[in-house]
Amino acid sequence: MSNETYASSPRIFKELLDEISKVIVGQHEAIEQMMIAILCNSHALVESNPGLAKTLTISTISKALDLKFNRIQCTPDLMPSDITGTYIIEDIGGKKQFRFEPGPVFANIILADEINRASPKTQSAMLEAMQEKQVTVGNKTYPLDKPFFVLATQNPIEMEGTYPLPEAQLDRFLLKILMDYPTFEDENEIVNRYTKNITPTVRSVVSKSEVLELQKLTRDVPIAEDIKVRAIRIVEATRGKSEHIEYGASPRASIGIILASKARALMHGRNYVSKEDIDAMAYPVLRHRIILTFESERKGMTTDRVVSDLLKNVK
Amino acid sequence: MNEFMNKLQQIRSGFLGRMRLIFILDLIAVFSIFYAIFIIVNLEYFLNKFSFPSSIPMKLFQPVLALVFSIIISILLHRKDDKINVINLIENKYPELNEKLSTAYDNRDETNIIVESLKTIVSDAIGPVSPSELLSKGRIISKIALTVIFIAGMVFISYNPEGIQIPGDTIDNVTEAITGEEETNTGVVDITGRPENIDNTGSTGNGSIFGKPKIASIEGKNIDLTLYSGMDAGLDVRDTSQTDNQFIKSAAFPVDVLGSNVSDGDYSMLMKKTETEKQLINKYAVERSKI
Repeated sequence: MSNETYASSPRIFKELLDEISKVIVGQHEAIEQMMIAILCNSHALVESNPGLAKTLTISTISKALDLKFNRIQCTPDLMPSDITGTYIIEDIGGKKQFRFEPGPVFANIILADEINRASPKTQSAMLEAMQEKQVTVGNKTYPLDKPFFVLATQNPIEMEGTYPLPEAQLDRFLLKILMDYPTFEDENEIVNRYTKNITPTVRSVVSKSEVLELQKLTRDVPIAEDIKVRAIRIVEATRGKSEHIEYGASPRASIGIILASKARALMHGRNYVSKEDIDAMAYPVLRHRIILTFESERKGMTTDRVVSDLLKNVK
Repeated sequence: MNEFMNKLQQIRSGFLGRMRLIFILDLIAVFSIFYAIFIIVNLEYFLNKFSFPSSIPMKLFQPVLALVFSIIISILLHRKDDKINVINLIENKYPELNEKLSTAYDNRDETNIIVESLKTIVSDAIGPVSPSELLSKGRIISKIALTVIFIAGMVFISYNPEGIQIPGDTIDNVTEAITGEEETNTGVVDITGRPENIDNTGSTGNGSIFGKPKIASIEGKNIDLTLYSGMDAGLDVRDTSQTDNQFIKSAAFPVDVLGSNVSDGDYSMLMKKTETEKQLINKYAVERSKI
């Protein structure tokens, strides 16, 4: 099965991206990074302004991958049980008994919209499910279906009444994906597509089992020792003395860069990790793991610029 | 072992063989340079002059010393040869193998479908790689050309050292200038500072003091110990009359009868005489010269 999936992986990825592009115009990098997070069996955080098709993108991906998709709109009054599920009393043949009603977290792809609006308690329940890939309600543990992927979104504006995710919890997201405004040409195409009677739709091109196979194959992609060393050096450099960095990235970032690079190599039809993969994945892996100094933030420095400098300096 | 590993091993062996050839070329070139230098500086004369103690015959000393130097320098130049990463050289020369070969090599013990597919690709691509292509032909040709030029130069100098080799006299002068010692056959220095041919002039029996040094340093002050003849020795006319006609004419003195055959000290003493005495001495000298 692995052999067949590997042999057909270039076709799978091409069909998948072609299918998604029927609905989503542009945003190739964001789509690729979401796919990478799925292949790494991890999760991603998306930061973008409203109206940039976050929900549409992830729901389209789940349709193309033939996976169950649920969306959770996070609000301050959202309770953990609203996510994980709860026991309800059910009358069966005149006999009342508890039955577990699974929450929206029981799906393959979850969109936790505006996760920073949920209370810390609810965020914690969600992040625990992400980490453990299981949910414990009462004294019973329910494993979550595989694959399990959470795409959490954050709105960079309107920060009032939000509970920003603590750094330790941000570290659990493999990637932080930025979605920018479309180009003029892309926006023109968006208008053309979505002002007609026929709404674009996608068909499923990859089965759930193939997604799981691809996740296994991702970890099999070999990496050269010097490239691996470079990835670690990049992460290590974030911890050194720097005028811009207050706190550097954890070893989880090293794992993240290498794993994400493997997934990127697989998506690009390569059977080895290239230096180019490491450089490309360093940005989404590190941008939410580096805390800039107050002075640097005040001067308008961004984590991406810091990562860019690191990539230039690390050999 | 993987097919590509066998091929890689062959390439590495071939490459190291070529590096050994370059080592030998460098050895010969450096030997030629040193041997030629030793001939030019007349090392053999220099060693003979100082009776350099050696168990090796002097004739063989130059080539042996040149060989030792050339081995040391060649080893230093090629000390990193074994550490040259052949994989990097192949990847630089063959861009289609870039990153693939090193990945396949680093994961040679892994077995999964992706690694196997990579190894297959690398095995096919590494086939046409030749060790000779890893070293630039220009570098090898220039090495050979330089070696031939150096050998030719060394042979020419060793057979025709005249005009190129530093003569023994020059070495003597240079060593004299450096050491401040005047060469004598006996190794004994006469500190009287008198020319040999006026040995008896003005001598009043002070005698000679033999040995070193002419200049003594006492409490940080250099004192000239040279004893000049006639100084404070009561030189008189009689003494001058005993002088042989062996004097050397010096341009430093005025050409006259009075000063032509006396030493530096004697002259200054004569100049202190009164005019009458000077005329008398002059007359005596003129009359004596007629005999």
